[in-house]
Amino acid sequence: MPILGAFKAPKNDNHMVGPLQTIHAPMKRFREDEEVDYLIVGVGSAGGVLLQRLARAGFKVLGMEAGPFWDTERDWVSDESGSHKLYWTEPRVTGGTDPLALGANNSGQGVGGGSVHWAAFTPRLHPSDFEVYTRDGVGADWPIDYADLLPYYEQLELEMPVSGPAYYPWGYPHGYPYGPHPMGGVGNALIKGCTALGIPVSIGGPVAILAGSHGDRPHCIYRGFCIQGCKVGAKASTLVTHVPDALRSGAEIRDRCMVSRIELGKDGRACGVHYFDREGSENFQRAKAVIVAGYAIESPRLLLNSATKGHEHGLANSSGTVGKYLMAQAGNVVLGRFDQPVRMYKAPPAHALTEEFYETNPKNDFARGFAIQTVGPLPIAFGKQMVAARKAWGWGLRREMMDYNHWASFGLLGEILPWADNTVTLSDDQDRFGLRVAHVTFNLHDNDKKLIAAAKKKTEEVMWAAGATTVVQESRYAHLVGGCRMGSDPATSVVDKFGRTHDVANLFVMDGSVFPTQGSANPGLTIQALAARTADYLISQGDRVFTSDDRDHAEPKIRRGLAPPETWGKGVPRLK
Amino acid sequence: MSSFKRPADPALCPRDPATGEALEPKLQPGYYAGFSTLSQSPFWDATTRGVVEQRVEHPPERKWFSEEAWKFWTVVFAHVVPQTDRVPERQIPIVAVLDKRLAKNQTVGYRYADMPHDRTAYELAAKAIDREAEHRFGGGFLLLPYRQRDEVLEAIHDGKPEAAQEIWAEMSVHRFWEMLTTDAIEAYYAHPWAWDEIGFGGPAYPRAYTRLERGEPEPWEVAEQRYEWAAPSSAVSDKVKSTTEDDAGQSHHGSGGTH
Repeated sequence: MPILGAFKAPKNDNHMVGPLQTIHAPMKRFREDEEVDYLIVGVGSAGGVLLQRLARAGFKVLGMEAGPFWDTERDWVSDESGSHKLYWTEPRVTGGTDPLALGANNSGQGVGGGSVHWAAFTPRLHPSDFEVYTRDGVGADWPIDYADLLPYYEQLELEMPVSGPAYYPWGYPHGYPYGPHPMGGVGNALIKGCTALGIPVSIGGPVAILAGSHGDRPHCIYRGFCIQGCKVGAKASTLVTHVPDALRSGAEIRDRCMVSRIELGKDGRACGVHYFDREGSENFQRAKAVIVAGYAIESPRLLLNSATKGHEHGLANSSGTVGKYLMAQAGNVVLGRFDQPVRMYKAPPAHALTEEFYETNPKNDFARGFAIQTVGPLPIAFGKQMVAARKAWGWGLRREMMDYNHWASFGLLGEILPWADNTVTLSDDQDRFGLRVAHVTFNLHDNDKKLIAAAKKKTEEVMWAAGATTVVQESRYAHLVGGCRMGSDPATSVVDKFGRTHDVANLFVMDGSVFPTQGSANPGLTIQALAARTADYLISQGDRVFTSDDRDHAEPKIRRGLAPPETWGKGVPRLK
Repeated sequence: MSSFKRPADPALCPRDPATGEALEPKLQPGYYAGFSTLSQSPFWDATTRGVVEQRVEHPPERKWFSEEAWKFWTVVFAHVVPQTDRVPERQIPIVAVLDKRLAKNQTVGYRYADMPHDRTAYELAAKAIDREAEHRFGGGFLLLPYRQRDEVLEAIHDGKPEAAQEIWAEMSVHRFWEMLTTDAIEAYYAHPWAWDEIGFGGPAYPRAYTRLERGEPEPWEVAEQRYEWAAPSSAVSDKVKSTTEDDAGQSHHGSGGTH
């Protein structure tokens, strides 16, 4: 049968990221005895940006990625069940009083990492997020403030780019350079419910999904499979936004390579990494500096698995905080049944939200707050929600599922504070390489429970106000951050404000694990903004990182010229 | 696959609530008669089409379960996701998908600390379900009539099994139920016949969805045509919870990624 309207399949020497953008393979290959400048472990949200910036600045950069380098036309499907390969499905153990679901819920693998399967909501943190301890006496302060990150927020919003409203009222009010998306059925319900209750609502973004075609990336076609990997190329992932330019600038990505241990030289500095290649053989790659960008579970796991003489409790762990202060956000899904059909599989799951309840409210009995966002579960995810939220099984499950098209769902996103007993440690279970796997422990504390109860209640009110005739909810968690938090005090944090470990001068961690607190904003944009800022810092340091243990803490100057070409400085200027 | 080919006992089929008569099994149950996602496959990209067609045309062969275990779980899944409203040739394989997962030792990417490995969990659960059946009704699970089997599984669903406490001490009953239903849903609702049943449009790359608001169908989709049906009288599973209260904090949560 001919394929009607599909694009041509990729040819041998062309690697496709989206239907229009091709990368000409093969790429550069560094020799293992060749000392690369920066070896980045994990090519995801942060790793992809670092790789691109550092390569464009002229460094010899190698990204090691445990998963495959996707050819989106060949590898990805519009199918829930066929997309499990996008998630981290190597073994892990999860426990505590409130264990986190991992895998598809929050953990990516393959080039692009989590940015391949995120829903692509890109709210910024608020200025208050950087001083939670000062303001509320809970959590922690960041070693940087909003102003340090602001230029990078603005820059990454152009590079992804982000679609959203021309005026966004919360936190540090701002506008988005690319216009908002039209509404799907779930966004309509959120607008209706919020408006009825007098709650402001952001419509059509902010999301890193193209509302109009942009260079070699077509605009969104509203097919709803965002978290199965955007085959259209409309949703930003570092695979489509930064990796192509990184490779053109001479970077190497060594895919399907699992880094097992970071090696220290006699001088106590990192000198390279041991890794299992795609055939399963163990190798060693030399490097002048190592950046760990494996996200909130694998980054601490790698540091812990790299314990060595002088670092018996794990590399860069003199503070004992590696793996501690792990955070997830409350991600309860509130589902409402409507008499009229909704068909929530159309449109990106992420397309409208409110941050009206984000900040600490002195009238509440808890600190910090939450957001309410659209979500759009496809049938398998919805079925699991019917099991969790309605206790459905058997004929009851079949009956609920036949009503799939009548349901809309909102996700609350609630801030859970950093606690020392929420941890990544090493399990006695081993993976197929014989490496100890991560054991994740998660416990809710009093403030978290009160916040979740209030957030559920408010989200349910909005769903009723939207006109739902039945409202149910599923308890769950979204996202992961923390585990290698940044701070000024080496006794209570793992890395400094640029992601440099306090203990090893040429070893960095840069990904979601460095967050000291998390707000109730989806973390993807902040991860990429932090990575771009760290790249500017490293570039400003030149070769000193490779030779000296001195730490210069001066803020770098933003280097907009290092952005992938055609991603900024164009378009219609907007008032901010 | 022979176990899927038996015609259903009318007593186990959904009924017309007005007359109480068994409804004739259909090629396509659900409210979207005439809708076929597979008929749209020429508009899908080649990779997606290959994956979905493979699922329909070549369900996996038995590799992991013994014949006995395969039969046991086939019967369990006939309660977890019953299909007697479907004609036998349109019933969707479930145990075959689970068997393939266990044979390849694929997991969701984590194991709860209060759970054994997945293969062990299914072995232990088969014993525990049989023991529950004996405890309640004096016979092995497969020997019981449909109603009693449904009641045994309802006890597991409710988290209140009475027998095999030493097994449930090693394995959380809630987590096992979550895994069992997840495996059933991952198989059933991955199938294009199930998409037709619930009116899900399915793959839409590169064609796109264009009617985003008010739940209106694309020209190639079909509007809803509801009908009333009642579950078979021998089933106890046609009931759902309608409140938003948590049973136990956040801990018995879903595992899907939505945001």
